[in-house]
Amino acid sequence: MIIRLARIEWPTVISTVALVAFGVLMLSTTADPNTTGLQNQAVQKAVLGVVGLTLAFAMAHIDYRALHGVAGPVYLLGVAALILVLLVGDFDLGARRWFEIGPIVVQPSEFMKLAAVIALAKYLADRSDAPRSLRTVVVSLGIMVVPAGLIFLGPDLGTALIFGAIWMAMVFVAGARWWHLLLPIVAALAAFPFAWFFAQDYMRQRFVTFLDPSSDPLGAGYNVLQARISIGSGGWLGHGLGQGSQSQLEFLRVRDTDFIFAMLGEQLGLAGTLGLLGFFTLLIVQALVIGLRARDMFGRLLAIGIAAMLFTQSFVNIGMNVGVMPVTGITLPLVSLGKNSLLVTLVAIGVLLSIHSHRAAAPFRQQSMHVVRGSLPSTPPRGLSDL
Amino acid sequence: MEAHDRPVARTGTGQPRISGTRRALLLGGAALAGNTALAARLWQLQVVESDAYLEQAAQNRARTRPIQPLRGLIYDRNREPLVANAPVFSVWLSPADLPPEREGPVLANLAVLTGERPDDLRFKLSQARLAPDTPARLARAVPRESALTIEERRRDLPGISVRTSTRREYAYGDVLGHIMGFTGPIPAEEVEAYRRQGVRFDEDIGLSGVERSLQAQLRGRDGEQRLETDAFGRDLHELAFTPPQVGQHAVLTVAVNEQQAIREILARHLALRDRGAGAVVVLRPDTGDVVAMVSLPDYDSNIFTRGASSENFALLVSDPRRPLINHTVSGLYPPGSTYKVIAASGALEAGVVLPQSKIHCDGRLILPSGWAFDDWLPEGHGLVDLQRAIAESCNIYFYNVSGGNPYTRLQGLGNRRLAEFERSFGFGERTGIDLPGEASGLVPTSEWKNKNLQQPWVTGDTYHAAIGQGLVQVTPLQIASMYAAIGNGGRVMRPRLIDRMLDQHGNVAERIPPRVRSVLPITESNLRLLQTGLYRAVNEPQGTGPRARSSHTVVAGKTGTAEYSGQRDSEGRLPSHAWFAGYAPAEQPDYAFAVLVRDGGEGAFAAAPIARDIIDYLMTGDMPPLPQDRPDFISPDRRL
Repeated sequence: MIIRLARIEWPTVISTVALVAFGVLMLSTTADPNTTGLQNQAVQKAVLGVVGLTLAFAMAHIDYRALHGVAGPVYLLGVAALILVLLVGDFDLGARRWFEIGPIVVQPSEFMKLAAVIALAKYLADRSDAPRSLRTVVVSLGIMVVPAGLIFLGPDLGTALIFGAIWMAMVFVAGARWWHLLLPIVAALAAFPFAWFFAQDYMRQRFVTFLDPSSDPLGAGYNVLQARISIGSGGWLGHGLGQGSQSQLEFLRVRDTDFIFAMLGEQLGLAGTLGLLGFFTLLIVQALVIGLRARDMFGRLLAIGIAAMLFTQSFVNIGMNVGVMPVTGITLPLVSLGKNSLLVTLVAIGVLLSIHSHRAAAPFRQQSMHVVRGSLPSTPPRGLSDL
Repeated sequence: MEAHDRPVARTGTGQPRISGTRRALLLGGAALAGNTALAARLWQLQVVESDAYLEQAAQNRARTRPIQPLRGLIYDRNREPLVANAPVFSVWLSPADLPPEREGPVLANLAVLTGERPDDLRFKLSQARLAPDTPARLARAVPRESALTIEERRRDLPGISVRTSTRREYAYGDVLGHIMGFTGPIPAEEVEAYRRQGVRFDEDIGLSGVERSLQAQLRGRDGEQRLETDAFGRDLHELAFTPPQVGQHAVLTVAVNEQQAIREILARHLALRDRGAGAVVVLRPDTGDVVAMVSLPDYDSNIFTRGASSENFALLVSDPRRPLINHTVSGLYPPGSTYKVIAASGALEAGVVLPQSKIHCDGRLILPSGWAFDDWLPEGHGLVDLQRAIAESCNIYFYNVSGGNPYTRLQGLGNRRLAEFERSFGFGERTGIDLPGEASGLVPTSEWKNKNLQQPWVTGDTYHAAIGQGLVQVTPLQIASMYAAIGNGGRVMRPRLIDRMLDQHGNVAERIPPRVRSVLPITESNLRLLQTGLYRAVNEPQGTGPRARSSHTVVAGKTGTAEYSGQRDSEGRLPSHAWFAGYAPAEQPDYAFAVLVRDGGEGAFAAAPIARDIIDYLMTGDMPPLPQDRPDFISPDRRL
């Protein structure tokens, strides 16, 4: 046990805990004071954070290469859930994005992000002999387009685009040709007329809103302005926890999810926002370093995919808060309210920890693998059936 | 394998070569660059521009709500309240809470519910958007049912709320319409001017009458409430409060009962005519106090504040007699013979004639140029002196003393000196009464005629001016004021309609003292001559005004029959306004008056009886009998 703890990537764990703590802190200032115990959103988040971290530590001890074997089934399960949610999911504000099973809300799109990263890492690692072939690029794109398309029908264009960004990062590192990276853009343009034709009115409306937030009848422009005022009025050190008229008097809307960063900016100022940004940067850099140190292509791509997932989401969300990105409804991973996202992100970090703890300088238990792979450098591993 | 791929992480033994290191580093660089850009943006927002955002956050949170004071009340001389502030429902908008995209449907709904014109609502909304945090009134005095519907549909009408406010309810709106005037929304073109005075665009302001002339005093000064509000416009608590300064109350010089009776007397006489119209002004000669002021037809002030039913309003607007105009101060008419005392006093003062000088009147004066000037009596008055000329209203006498006579070589007063005397009686300028829209009238001179009509002044113009015809234009108030001055010994008083202003506790805030505008440049003995002439006009057998004789007091006065260009009657005569002006009692007068019956024919028949009835009423307090019940009644159909 002690030996294993030593192999934990502590900077990653610390930045993860810090980010979750930021979220709990912010939610504690907006939670309904009349709620107690598990009714309180901040408490819920803290409890779920502990559960998620436990899962992450457990994940760290499982060899990530086990994921290579389950990648296919997990992926198919995720796609099935996405189809199901479109058919029978709960309907809110014109969007079908989740199931409600008793008190538990399940959002398949969150799980699909990780499932798709795993599936893509497996496929690209398996084909690492021919990364520059068009076939690799097209099939890998297909792996992402299926869930992204289903999520887009949700409709949730923002999350769908996150899949595109993850794909681009992973395929790029896998070694694809530069111009192949442009394929999805071409594909999207080609598919657009059909999608538009089959789309429902509200989907079209949301798409238009995405392109031009000022056309949003619910006032996306209002939210962006209020977020900017909140952040700007925070100054160096902010108004203090639980203070600040913008968030406390609810001029800042959707403050628990999309605009939690703005609330942080108002309450904790530049110190808080730079602190949070710093922890995100640390986490992402650690993920990349873990990828660089990974023992095999599968691990590296997995880490790259998770790093891309964390970076794109945080960048788009913070960018939206400070008014340099369009409003997409992407939440801030680990920080925002959102139990599915928190759990999935923590499991993803667990995967990172696993890649780290099972890196090259692993105990003798894994050395047989090196021999196998080292002896056959040009042969693509056919799964991990030899384990 | 790409050439740039190098083995990494050789911490163990025999580590395989894994591709993509350089590209992964590139991605890492991109991520770092992205987050650095975000950090720079945060620096910009939270350090560089922070003050501006702090300001905006403060504006978000605090709303300033002006608190309008209750409008001051108006009382008559006997402290009878003439107006009350009645509670009504009005529709308000919090501009910040109405998203611009929803303006269209919300305004359309409101137009239906309130009956306001969509264009008006749109204008008010655009004004309200200038101060998004301050609620603005969109519609006033909406019916109860509409108010309830609006409350029920609040979800469809973001930013719209119903509040109680007040509207003016006039206790005697029907008899005091022209004096009181009414309040209403500010006309679009005046919004800017009122804004500079601190009056908001959505307020009701005085639009006419005393309501308008005393607007500033009646309105008072706004108070202010600073509230902390949340994003949903809910008031959380008060940050600061400045109480409003309640408007002052006004006490008028008129008494409702007298005004009511005098209006009734005029109405009875006018009722005998087809579409009769007329005006009466009664003043207190010593102070200039307005006792009564009637212009008929008139309107009820309440139809404007109750939300005028449009047919009523259309009738008022389309009536050719122009009932919305207070003809006592805004109507301009030739004064006819009531004007003759001016030429008389001028001629005496300038020494053109002596009081006893006689001038022969044979009914017509033909100038060498060929122009003929007639007397009203075709056979002429014979030899007349000044007093007889006034009493019998001899035109020829006044032609002679004003424009001269080329045959007798009499040098007349002349246009210039005549105009000076007209002005000294207060003509050609506003009297300064506390009412809006007062006309100044016209004292014609050769300069004026040259400039405005591009025609030279001729002797005939002087003749006409002397008998109050031609270019002369006066208001009934100016005529009443002139007779008040003759009656009170020569002081031209500013007509006084407001006696005093009261503060909210009923204490006197301001007294408006009587003011002498000017003193007539006439010696006491000459004034006495004029007074006697006016006495004789009513009380001697040959006088023109016997029908003004009262059985309760001695009346002095002058008839006037002022022709104006219009359609001639069957006998070729021009239409004329009938006047009677004077004062009573003849010694130490308590009242001076001017009576005008528009298109009334002869002053002696149409106007003098009205003056008599008014004086009878004022002396006894009893309503006189109906005009048609009198033995000397002559129907106005029988024109003489």
